[in-house]
Amino acid sequence: MRILLAEDEKELSRALCAVLQHQGYETDAAYNGEAALELALSRSYDCMVFDIMMPKLDGVTAVRRIRDSGIVTPVIMLTAKAEVDDRVEGLDAGADDYLTKPFAMKELLARLRSMTRRSKAFTPTRLSLGSVTLNTEEQELIGSNSIRLAKKETKLMETLLLNPGRALSTRDLLTRVWPDEPDAEDGLVWIYISYLRQKLAAIGADVEIVGEKGQSFTLLKK
Amino acid sequence: MKTDSIYGAYNEVLPQVMRTLTDKVIQFNWERVQSTGHPIYEHFNYRVKSEDSMREKCTRRGLPQTPESALLELKDSIGLRIITNFVDDIYKTAAFIRDLPNVTVITEKDYIKNVKPNGYRSYHMILQLEAPYEDIMGNNPGKWYAEVQLRTIAMDSWAALEHEMKYKKSIANSRMIESELKRVADELASCDVSMQTIRDLIREDEN
Repeated sequence: MRILLAEDEKELSRALCAVLQHQGYETDAAYNGEAALELALSRSYDCMVFDIMMPKLDGVTAVRRIRDSGIVTPVIMLTAKAEVDDRVEGLDAGADDYLTKPFAMKELLARLRSMTRRSKAFTPTRLSLGSVTLNTEEQELIGSNSIRLAKKETKLMETLLLNPGRALSTRDLLTRVWPDEPDAEDGLVWIYISYLRQKLAAIGADVEIVGEKGQSFTLLKK
Repeated sequence: MKTDSIYGAYNEVLPQVMRTLTDKVIQFNWERVQSTGHPIYEHFNYRVKSEDSMREKCTRRGLPQTPESALLELKDSIGLRIITNFVDDIYKTAAFIRDLPNVTVITEKDYIKNVKPNGYRSYHMILQLEAPYEDIMGNNPGKWYAEVQLRTIAMDSWAALEHEMKYKKSIANSRMIESELKRVADELASCDVSMQTIRDLIREDEN
């Protein structure tokens, strides 16, 4: 995981980088807004931390330019004072979260974990368990063979793969896979679970969906 | 003229040998209709491989155009193709054929579970039939080979399309067509499995 840290106070930046590296993150430090923007546009990061008050280019403007260029990497803003306007401006510019200085290192680390976790859940097009891979983009389920899935089958399989080993109730699945169909019945979940079971068998999968009609379903390795 | 046949003196008995097997398959289907109300297959085609095809295949395989090549080396002088509505019916029919008296399975290839890289799906069996006609080795009852291909309607349509593309010499964007054929094969397989699932659910409710 690579983090961009844009912070002009060198002592603070060094201390933050040391802790982040200790936690296993790779870090790039920029000491002004221009340098930070240049890095953000040229390298790929998992999360970026921007101080608002910086020389050459302020954090809010830098973040706005980053967003304008189409980069959706999560950004946490560091605001010097607890000014509501500062926070609003930062969030409106495209930041995802903010921390008010002074902050506890523990909290910054927790927010970084939260941000990177979320971005990971939003972006993957390939999900795997055992020998089975789902390519959500192509709606393709791959084992020793491959087979195409319908849209709702893909969504259901994705939900199961994002929650391996977890029991998901028929209700849960109904609201997650068919959010726009309030009239959808429990039987719909059952028939789609049945489709997926046979399709998993058809590709020689080493994972299975356990659970009974109308109850909870869990994706497990055989 | 008979002696001109690549099958030699056996040209005449081949259709009769074939009938010993096809009669049983037809009988099996009839019994299924009687007992369940549903046929086991949708179409059933069979043929003795034509003179031209057999000669062409011998040449392609580097074999002399002789009755030995046609009846012993190559094992598809008799060919059956059974086309079903549902995937399960393929396995049920294969099991029926496997258990027939006077039939020995030489090889079985399940290209439904082990799909060919291009997307081809089908179930292939090479059989040795024992039939009351003297064979080329002088045995009576004789031993004869037959090939059986079992597939669903969807797999069959796909195979027909793929065959057409394979024998067209130059197709623009042939790589794109190949990858589209593969995608479509997987989509058809998905429909086959979905239809099987729905049928199973309906039958479960009936019971």
